[in-house]
Amino acid sequence: MEPMLPESGLEGRNRLRQDLAGWLWVSPWVVGFAVFMLVPIAMSLYYSFTDFPLLEGALWVGTDNYRRLLGDADFWLTLRNTVIFVGVSIPVCTVISITIAALLNRSRGRDFFQAAIFLPSLVPLAAGAIIFSWLFNGEYGLVNRVLATVGIDGPPWLLDRNLALPAVIVIGVWGIGQAVVLYVAAMQDVPEQLYEAADLDGMGPFRKFWNVTLPMISPVILFNVITMSIGAFQAFVVPFMLFDRVKGGPDRVAYFSTHYLFDNAFAFDRMGYASALAWVQLLIVLAFTGVVFLVSRKLVFYRGS
Amino acid sequence: MAAEPPSTGLAATRSSRATRWSAHALLVVMAILWLAPLAWMVVTSLKPADQAASASLRLLPDPASSTVSQIVENYSGVWNDEAVQFPIYLRNTLIVAILSVAGMTLSSAMVAYGFARIPFRGRGPFFALTLATMMIPFPVIMGPLYVLFGHLGWIGSLKPLWVPAWFGGAFNIFLLRQFYMGLPKELDEAARLDGCSHWGIFWRIIVPLSRPALAVVALFHFIYVWNDFLAPMIFLTHRDDFTLALGLQMYQSKSGNTPWNLLMAAGTMVVAPVVVLFFLAQRSFVRGIAAGGGRE
Amino acid sequence: MVNDLASIAGMTRRAAVGGLAAAALGFVAFGPRGGKERSDGRIVLDYWEKWTGLEGRAIIRIVDEFNASQDRIWVRYFSTSGIDQKTKVAIAGGDPPDIVGLWNPNIAGFAASGAILPLSDLAERPEHAIRLERYAGAMRPMMEYKGKVWAAVHTGGSVALYCNKAHFREVGIDPETSLRTIADLDRANHLLTQVEPDGTVNRVGFLQSEPGWDNYHWGTFFGGELVDGESNRSLLGSAENIAAYEWVQRGARRFGEGDGIPDADESRNALLRGSSFGQLQKFRSGFGNYDSPLNAFLSGKVSTVAQGPWLANVIQAYRPDLDYCVVPFPVVDSLVDPEHPRGLVNADVLVVPRGVRHPEACMEFIAFTQTQRAVEYLSTVHCKNSTLADVSPEFVAGHANRGLATFAKVAGSSNAFRCPHTPAWMQFKDVCDTMFGDVWTGKDAAATLVKAADAKAQDVLDQSAAAGRRRGRA
Repeated sequence: MEPMLPESGLEGRNRLRQDLAGWLWVSPWVVGFAVFMLVPIAMSLYYSFTDFPLLEGALWVGTDNYRRLLGDADFWLTLRNTVIFVGVSIPVCTVISITIAALLNRSRGRDFFQAAIFLPSLVPLAAGAIIFSWLFNGEYGLVNRVLATVGIDGPPWLLDRNLALPAVIVIGVWGIGQAVVLYVAAMQDVPEQLYEAADLDGMGPFRKFWNVTLPMISPVILFNVITMSIGAFQAFVVPFMLFDRVKGGPDRVAYFSTHYLFDNAFAFDRMGYASALAWVQLLIVLAFTGVVFLVSRKLVFYRGS
Repeated sequence: MAAEPPSTGLAATRSSRATRWSAHALLVVMAILWLAPLAWMVVTSLKPADQAASASLRLLPDPASSTVSQIVENYSGVWNDEAVQFPIYLRNTLIVAILSVAGMTLSSAMVAYGFARIPFRGRGPFFALTLATMMIPFPVIMGPLYVLFGHLGWIGSLKPLWVPAWFGGAFNIFLLRQFYMGLPKELDEAARLDGCSHWGIFWRIIVPLSRPALAVVALFHFIYVWNDFLAPMIFLTHRDDFTLALGLQMYQSKSGNTPWNLLMAAGTMVVAPVVVLFFLAQRSFVRGIAAGGGRE
Repeated sequence: MVNDLASIAGMTRRAAVGGLAAAALGFVAFGPRGGKERSDGRIVLDYWEKWTGLEGRAIIRIVDEFNASQDRIWVRYFSTSGIDQKTKVAIAGGDPPDIVGLWNPNIAGFAASGAILPLSDLAERPEHAIRLERYAGAMRPMMEYKGKVWAAVHTGGSVALYCNKAHFREVGIDPETSLRTIADLDRANHLLTQVEPDGTVNRVGFLQSEPGWDNYHWGTFFGGELVDGESNRSLLGSAENIAAYEWVQRGARRFGEGDGIPDADESRNALLRGSSFGQLQKFRSGFGNYDSPLNAFLSGKVSTVAQGPWLANVIQAYRPDLDYCVVPFPVVDSLVDPEHPRGLVNADVLVVPRGVRHPEACMEFIAFTQTQRAVEYLSTVHCKNSTLADVSPEFVAGHANRGLATFAKVAGSSNAFRCPHTPAWMQFKDVCDTMFGDVWTGKDAAATLVKAADAKAQDVLDQSAAAGRRRGRA
């Protein structure tokens, strides 16, 4: 990155002093990175090859945990649920947040509406989960009360296997405020000349949006998709509290990888197995991010390129 | 963020009146949809248990004159619950928040200075590594972290929740580095000619100039601490150490369960500080998100 | 001008933020703290429990009495949710409480891994020792694992069937004499269930999904068991258990399919067929919390419920006028034995984790809780059976549950059903819960689901045994 200077005499000494100063300034993070990231990851890799019941020591068992994982129906179930959740909620959140941002971008009273959409994203998920468990209550929930006023007999959302996962996704959509703010900011940055040029080409508003706005904000879409997905892969507290009486909800459709990992580590006496699950989860997240980056090369438009 | 253009800009004049109005109407609906859950939480928290669990859409308890006494009854009921001690959890949450926010802001600011202003060897690869850690999900390391904290004798204390913050966080380091990169280097160089050390430049130039960015880091880290659930759930074993988010879960699942009106009152109490903070610092929030979004 | 306003707004905002920060600091400095700092030279013991509310207060009273009865030990009471998991994490993390109130099925896991101490080795003074013969017969096995005593039973209870007598009068059935077999219950359920022509469910005679606490116990009423402790074999897939869960599934499917019982009422069946599982689930979502007037049994939404003696506390609190009776849970024809009824027995147990500094002080406190007076006081307030062999006449006379005799009979029965004491219980229960959920929602035929769960349960048991063998345990 920096130009390499010939290291001779005074310059070499300066160079060394600079290295020392630099590493000194970043030293808190060197320690933080090593102790709270690197060491745990290494430990987790080691544990994944052990039988480690938490209350007793870890014993080496080779690749047992990974082999067991292949035939573990609960692993596949939770992985499938998680993938479905990520696969549905990310596109849904992305489309909705871009739509809202597009509406906000050219509206009067933008600050107010933006604030209204943004505020819920700051609400603790634990509180969000209990709020929605109340809203979605089959008998007394607000959703069904409102539906009743227009003559619709609402379903028991959280007890229905087909509606439980959508309910979790709705809570995710409720919390998209940060993405919306980001999209609005990106849309504000689109140079006005581009729209003027598009006008000259006779484009309507939707084509302009498609041909000008979307390409211009595509780096932000990439950023949001990646951060949202990393978050969605870890989803835990919402389903955990939403279905506090029946784990994972009806048919366990909302029993996710992190919850299964937690159960194995801290309830089922299988920290070793949980660590194998953790590594698989890590690899999946890395692979997913890699794929998104690869795909994005073709789709994302960077200014100046 | 730059000053906002007038809301009826060129874009608006181009679109037809009808689209503009329908867009506006849509936004009103959206705003209502997004705020309704919070509003209904508050509404429910004002009612007696039997009215909360009835099919009515009333906003106030019946009779409305009982509103104040019902508020007092519900909220003092939650605050003084003998099993789930919200006052203690509030104090714990504040302790963690203060220590953690202070540590996170200070250490991230210093580390970001190192990355932004000192061209040391290995800087590029180490910064890339730092960014890469943002992709590591917490669940992957929570088990080993627990074992590690156990060895350190921290299980059963609040330390696991705030000590790590004193060693910086990847995202905040990234955010502040971006901000510092935007500050003119000439200022540093002038100070350097005046004989200022890195320490002096950091405190006299960088920190004062980056106060908005530091506020953003502090704010978001505060929200993060306030909302965090999984880490307290794993690392805190002692009931007297619980945080509010955990207290909320305990309140929901305590033996015999909890009536909806009280659960919503507890929820309101946990959410209220966040809402207040939002109104006070709305601009910082928006600015912070825009800055963190990697728009470059 | 505009700038001035903006700067004033900015200053106000900064002042408000500053005020908030000051308030936060003030609250940290002067706000309420937990009991951690407190100590007056005594040995301080932390005692963790799951109980809050009424039950919690009763235990706190015992704790207070103990603290007042001597000047050497100070016990502090803490209630927490998810007690078994929290305790495990605390012990493994090296910061265990001194005394913990677990459930009896947890003992095996903690004992096998050496996470709790055998009580028989702890009592230094003979009067603190736990003597098994003092306890009711059904309670003794719940304190033991592999021939050692690990826990003191705190309170305990059995499960039987509560019946709403007004509902039964409507349909002309006397629950106390003619509710002995599953067929009797099915018949009553058929008559008690009320469905509207549009499919809306108004009342159900009996629901296997309520209260949903012990989804693994239905097999016992059909003669099934869960685990053969000797061979470590899962018995979940037995014909008896399959029959039980097929019956559970019928309880859900009758909404939409009707009842297939002999001499079913055609008009009732037509209404049931006009309803659906979705309608049933919607009806269930209106059930209130256990401890509330909206409790499904209290509000009359279900006419019967399988519950422990403690339900009488809730009835007393919210519906003291409710006319109910309690009968042993019905069983299949071949198992009817009025002298030896069947039903789940569970206990709330006290254990001492490894690593505590004052085990003998823990034993002193535990011994205090095991006196007849303390046990009967707790059992009265918790509204449970006494766990001791000797029961005072005052206890029986003063008990709030009119079905106490039934519960005592179930608890003392040679047919009483206990959770198997296996280290893998948490996972085993999880397998049963999943299976129950799938059976209930009709994911597949009950027999298929039970067999699949049996294979999974066996795997869980095998894994746990392998982990034990690796560590040199038989």
